[in-house]
Amino acid sequence: MGSWGLSLAPPAMLTLPLYLQGIINLGVSENKLCFDLLSWRLSQSDMQRVEPSLLQYADWRGHLFLREEVAKFLSFYCKSPAPLRPENECEKEAVCVIMCASVKYNIRGPALIPRMKTKHRIYYITLFSIVLLGLIATGMFQFWPHSIESSNDWNVEKRSVRDVPVVRLPADSPIPERGDLSCRMHTCFDVYRCGFNPKNKIKVYIYALKKYVDDFGVPVSNTISREYNELLTAISDSDYYTDDINRACLFVPSIDVLNQNTLRIKETAQALAQLSRWDRGTNHLLFNMLPGGPPDYNTALDVPRDRALLAGGGFSTWTYRQGYDVSIPVYSPLSAEVDLPEKGPGPRRYFLISSQVGLHPEYREDLEALQVKHGESVLVLDKCTNLSEGGLSIRKRCHKHQVFDYPQVLQEATFCVVLRGARLGQAILSDVLQAGCVPVVIADSYILPFSEVLDWKRASVVVPEEKMSDVYSILQSIPQRQIEEMQRQARWFWEAYFQSIKAIALATLQIINDRIYPYAAISYEEWNDPPAVKWGSVSNPLFLPLIPPQSQGFTAIVLTYDRVESLFRVITEVSKVPSLSKLLVVWNNQNKNPPEDSLWPKIRVPLKVVRTAENKLSNRFFPYDEIETEAVLAIDDDIIMLTSDELQFGYEVWREFPDRLVGYPGRLHLWDHEMNKWKYESEWTNEVSMVLTGAAFYHKYFNYLYTYKMPGDIKNWVDAHMNCEDIAMNFLVANVTGKAVIKVTPRKKFKCPECTAIDGLSLDQTHMVERSECINKFASVFGTMPLKVVEHRADPVLYKDDFPEKLKSFPNIGSL
Amino acid sequence: MQSWRRRKSLWLALSASWLLLVLLGGFSLLRLALPPRPRPGAPQGWPRWLDAELLQSFSQAGELPEDAASPQAPHGGSCNWGACFDTSKCRGDGLKVFVYPASGPISETHHRILASIEGSRFHTFSPAGACLLLLLSLDAQTGECSSMPLQWNRGRNHLVLRLHPAPCPKTFQLGQAMVAEASPTVDSFRPGFDVALPFLPEAHPLRGGAPGQLQQHSPQPGIALLALEEERGGWRTADTGSSACPWDARCEQDPGPGQTQRGETLPNATFCLISGHRPEAASRFLQALQAGCIPVLLSPRWELPFSEVIDWTKAAIVADERLPLQVLAALQEMSPARVLALRQQTQFLWDAYFSSVEKVIHTTLEVIQDRIFGTSAHPSLLWNSPPGALLALSTFSTSPQDFPFYHLQQGSRPEGRFSALIWVGPPGQPPLKLIQAVAGSQHCAQILVLWSNERPLPSSWPETAMPLTVIDGHRKVSDRFFPYSTIRTDAILSLDARSSLSTSEVDFAFVVWQSFPERMVGFLTSSHFWDEAHGGWGYTAERTNEFSMVLTTAAFYHRYYHTLFTHSLPKALRTLADEAPTCVDVLMNFLVAAVTKLPPIKVPYGKQRQEAAPLASGGPGPRPKPQAPAPNCVNQIAAAFGHMPLLSSRLRLDPVLFKDPVSVQRKKYRSLEKP
Repeated sequence: MGSWGLSLAPPAMLTLPLYLQGIINLGVSENKLCFDLLSWRLSQSDMQRVEPSLLQYADWRGHLFLREEVAKFLSFYCKSPAPLRPENECEKEAVCVIMCASVKYNIRGPALIPRMKTKHRIYYITLFSIVLLGLIATGMFQFWPHSIESSNDWNVEKRSVRDVPVVRLPADSPIPERGDLSCRMHTCFDVYRCGFNPKNKIKVYIYALKKYVDDFGVPVSNTISREYNELLTAISDSDYYTDDINRACLFVPSIDVLNQNTLRIKETAQALAQLSRWDRGTNHLLFNMLPGGPPDYNTALDVPRDRALLAGGGFSTWTYRQGYDVSIPVYSPLSAEVDLPEKGPGPRRYFLISSQVGLHPEYREDLEALQVKHGESVLVLDKCTNLSEGGLSIRKRCHKHQVFDYPQVLQEATFCVVLRGARLGQAILSDVLQAGCVPVVIADSYILPFSEVLDWKRASVVVPEEKMSDVYSILQSIPQRQIEEMQRQARWFWEAYFQSIKAIALATLQIINDRIYPYAAISYEEWNDPPAVKWGSVSNPLFLPLIPPQSQGFTAIVLTYDRVESLFRVITEVSKVPSLSKLLVVWNNQNKNPPEDSLWPKIRVPLKVVRTAENKLSNRFFPYDEIETEAVLAIDDDIIMLTSDELQFGYEVWREFPDRLVGYPGRLHLWDHEMNKWKYESEWTNEVSMVLTGAAFYHKYFNYLYTYKMPGDIKNWVDAHMNCEDIAMNFLVANVTGKAVIKVTPRKKFKCPECTAIDGLSLDQTHMVERSECINKFASVFGTMPLKVVEHRADPVLYKDDFPEKLKSFPNIGSL
Repeated sequence: MQSWRRRKSLWLALSASWLLLVLLGGFSLLRLALPPRPRPGAPQGWPRWLDAELLQSFSQAGELPEDAASPQAPHGGSCNWGACFDTSKCRGDGLKVFVYPASGPISETHHRILASIEGSRFHTFSPAGACLLLLLSLDAQTGECSSMPLQWNRGRNHLVLRLHPAPCPKTFQLGQAMVAEASPTVDSFRPGFDVALPFLPEAHPLRGGAPGQLQQHSPQPGIALLALEEERGGWRTADTGSSACPWDARCEQDPGPGQTQRGETLPNATFCLISGHRPEAASRFLQALQAGCIPVLLSPRWELPFSEVIDWTKAAIVADERLPLQVLAALQEMSPARVLALRQQTQFLWDAYFSSVEKVIHTTLEVIQDRIFGTSAHPSLLWNSPPGALLALSTFSTSPQDFPFYHLQQGSRPEGRFSALIWVGPPGQPPLKLIQAVAGSQHCAQILVLWSNERPLPSSWPETAMPLTVIDGHRKVSDRFFPYSTIRTDAILSLDARSSLSTSEVDFAFVVWQSFPERMVGFLTSSHFWDEAHGGWGYTAERTNEFSMVLTTAAFYHRYYHTLFTHSLPKALRTLADEAPTCVDVLMNFLVAAVTKLPPIKVPYGKQRQEAAPLASGGPGPRPKPQAPAPNCVNQIAAAFGHMPLLSSRLRLDPVLFKDPVSVQRKKYRSLEKP
């Protein structure tokens, strides 16, 4: 039984003795319970799920031995007319055994019993062991499925690949036309099929697996390879998959054309043509990694495929239909076998390595010349000729008599040569990237994998074949920093797009998806930037350097509850600012109506009152439709001390920094080393990291961000605590722009007549504690401290200069 | 009996197990004959094959390595970069371009384009030394067609440049020549070999060019969502609410309240729909780009301009004309963030690559140079974010962190140290006090002295902890901005020997520069103004409420501007600066403003000393008014730039507690306020 165990999964090994025990018990003591349990278990449906083909593999040596025993026994005891062949299917044998035995029992059984002699004992024992063997053989069926099944796949059909329906292709069945080189998405792709999907995701249908044979019953190709099965499984598990052929936008045949050498071209084409939705190949996607065949090795799949899209490994510029085909990598099976931990970038032992075997002698000469010229830093490896064990030679490379482990040796090199073979696409590219080695691609006209979206300049060096002898000097001219960047990038490409068949399949579908829904496409940065870069980088939403025209002016938004008198004063003051273009009062009191129209101060600009549904602080930062200017001045209803010059100057400063918060009193956040947390600071400091929004200019887009894109629960938290909305705004703007605030003018405090009365010391203390808590809370929600500290503030050019006051633009810039 | 009973029970057990086996065996035989049917209702995925583990790999173990190589590269009918361009001629100093002289009378445009290429750093007069031979085929309307030139050599390393679609019949076979033409059709375009140009209108400005129309980042409220191109030019804004697919006559019942804008006016809408298949639609594309109206291209059959390097997904939407409802829904639902980004990108691209003929030609050459450079070409980030690849030279560095423009995107910061570069002009006094003041700064990394006068070098220099390098020799004024390899920091403090600064001032200015590494941060300022009386630009160094230039006799800036000054400015401008030394300041300010599109930054400067010993007297900076040839200089430079890039600022950045009535002890930069 030990040899059986070799091909069985460990759980089966463990349960086998128990099962045997059960049978023995059954035979010896008529254990009813055990019998019931067994019979129940054996009659479960999964018992019948083992396909005979499973048991036909020639390398199951133990199995053969078992069969031999059974065959011998049957030939002898069942008086088989001809000796049974052990190659026959096991299950049938077991059945034979039983049937033969039961026939004998029926005929001779009752008569035999009383005349039973000791000499017959051997017969009984043998008979018993047959039953035992039969039961064990049946038992195998029970254990076998358990070792493959995972519990969540109950819904998926379980069959053997050997068992798929066979389709006979008549010799005269139609053949598709050859691929049309002028195909583009808008000519050959039927986009109407993709119109169903509101989520901007294409739907992919996979045809059922079939086995195609010609008129003589000879198979057209291997039914399916491991990789293609993995690929289809990945698609089936993805969001793209649909099992409804009528809703599908893209069709993937299950005819495996990954390797052209394993299939018959004409017959495969016929098989494609008879697919139920083939329709000249429209919206069909074929995956091929090894195109062409000897002697001329075409760079695209030779199977005529009409309008079908081809995801091919090894396209050249002449066969690749830009924007229609997808160039994919040639999967390296080593990726799954070998675990190469990531090695940090930096100088490595060899500068340049060539590890390909089977190179053309001309190339090898060139490489060896490089090695001679540059000595130790170049390593040219070849097949090992003198290795004793042949099986592992694929994982070894040799240089003279030195043996290296492949692909581990790639991690010792900064650059790795990826030369064209007969085919342009080489699986070694994947190994090289995995090792974090920068590929030096020497294959003229090769379309690199996923080149439609991946920026290979960042991860590889492409050298024309005729410059092969200069390769060393070309590589040496690359600065070290760029090399390290490329090493990181190479490894990232492997992790994201080369690592597994699944990664390749999903990237291919994503590319096609992006073509069909271009407005929802993934950006260059998302495809190409490694996670570390994505984390550190800030993309300012207002990146265009632009100084908005002064004529546009700003909209002042006054948040008020019921301090009407003070509000009117603010309105009157603010209306004196030349650049004010509109005034918006946000009436935050639901219990009281705003004063009548006639009572409002008469001002030169439009005044609008907006009533809110709830008394919330966040109402101040709502993107009201009434805001027509880009610049917004948020101002409290008690800020009456700001002079017109001060406000106008604030607006001028905002125009020069439209992507920042421009405010008056500045505040600072500090790290409290004792408490190990952030602290809010309003003392006289030389630095600023926040401005108060009691009066501040900012771009109206930040209102949109505050209302709809504030991370976490900050917005609700602020509304619940009725505090810190300004700190939240400071965090938001700094986080999204990566820039600091601008404090304008010396003003340090908003003093208002109403609030001085309650401005006690103790109140101040609690206020500070609350504000510090806000900072800590927000920093934890943002996951970082986005605030930037600066040491400058903006003053008018001639501020406090010895210059006639009347000639200054902003003479009345106010006090502290 | 005992044994009999035992035997009986044995028999019973045996028969029971037989029965069991018969049942089981028969049952499983039955199941084999009838393959299990899938359960109804369950989702049908790709089956998990029971024998999946045992499937063979698509590539047999031996196959890949055996895949014997053939020395012949696969080849096809047409050219590609590797096959038809010989880069060996381009070694050394990159792309050198020879332009065939015109054979016969040429138009003014042709003449000026020739002049513009001849003024560029790519140009060479010898066809033998050139790596690219440029054949201009410009004069579309005159009917002049170029004939086969002398050094044709089957078109190898040739670029045929057609700004307008060729009316000429192909008088000679293009052979291996690359073609740069306006909006080539996708079918004839050879990616990576040909260059797609924009479709320029006849009256496109040669140099400078009109800036983008966008005045604000976000769309104005109430602006039309969509503008449609009219058949005879002009744009029509469409009300997208009423009609399902307003551009498709078949489904549009009501022309709606759309407004038609005839003529060459630019559209005023968020999106501009361009559906023409003919390359001429590309001229609309350019119009939309200039107007900041996001182009929505419906299945264009022409290649987008410079698609090899420009990531058009950031500035335009290419959609399928067959899905109008989806496109419209997608436009209506597009997030404000995306709209904002697309709008800004249209403006950046317009300004960086399309606003003038000169920019288009330089971009073409830059694209080809990038192909030659291979790994040292512009990274995609440099092409696709401001200021653009024409202003971010890849010869300076290929790492974005080395430039002053990309720190945010890279998550990096400028270096925390600076190099002081002191120019010692004619009087030739060693600036001992200045060196001491600068060396006192905690941020100073090194001091370089450019000794540029007749006097011999002084034998002794002041003792400082700073490394001090003296570069000797009588130099031109423009050499002040030469990218000396000895400068190792990002920041440069450019000084004149007669400047006087305090350590405090230097420290504060440097801290400010770190916040604005792409701008110039200076102490003394001047401004330009439009002089109605003379019909030209004027220049004043007087103190006013605003300024547009800082004097480089005391200013911080990024060392990249030295490279840009020396390698990208036309030779004529640098000569101008050498001849009129006062111009060098203006020129540098023009350059930085043209790159950043922002004004410089002023920091406070000790007032007393400013009056006692003005920085600007007698040095290479602008002199006091009577002897200043500056206004003329401003006009000359503005003419060479093609536009006025300078912008005015009305603010000064002071330390936070500057001149506040609080204890001096609290202040970090105390000496800034000393009288």
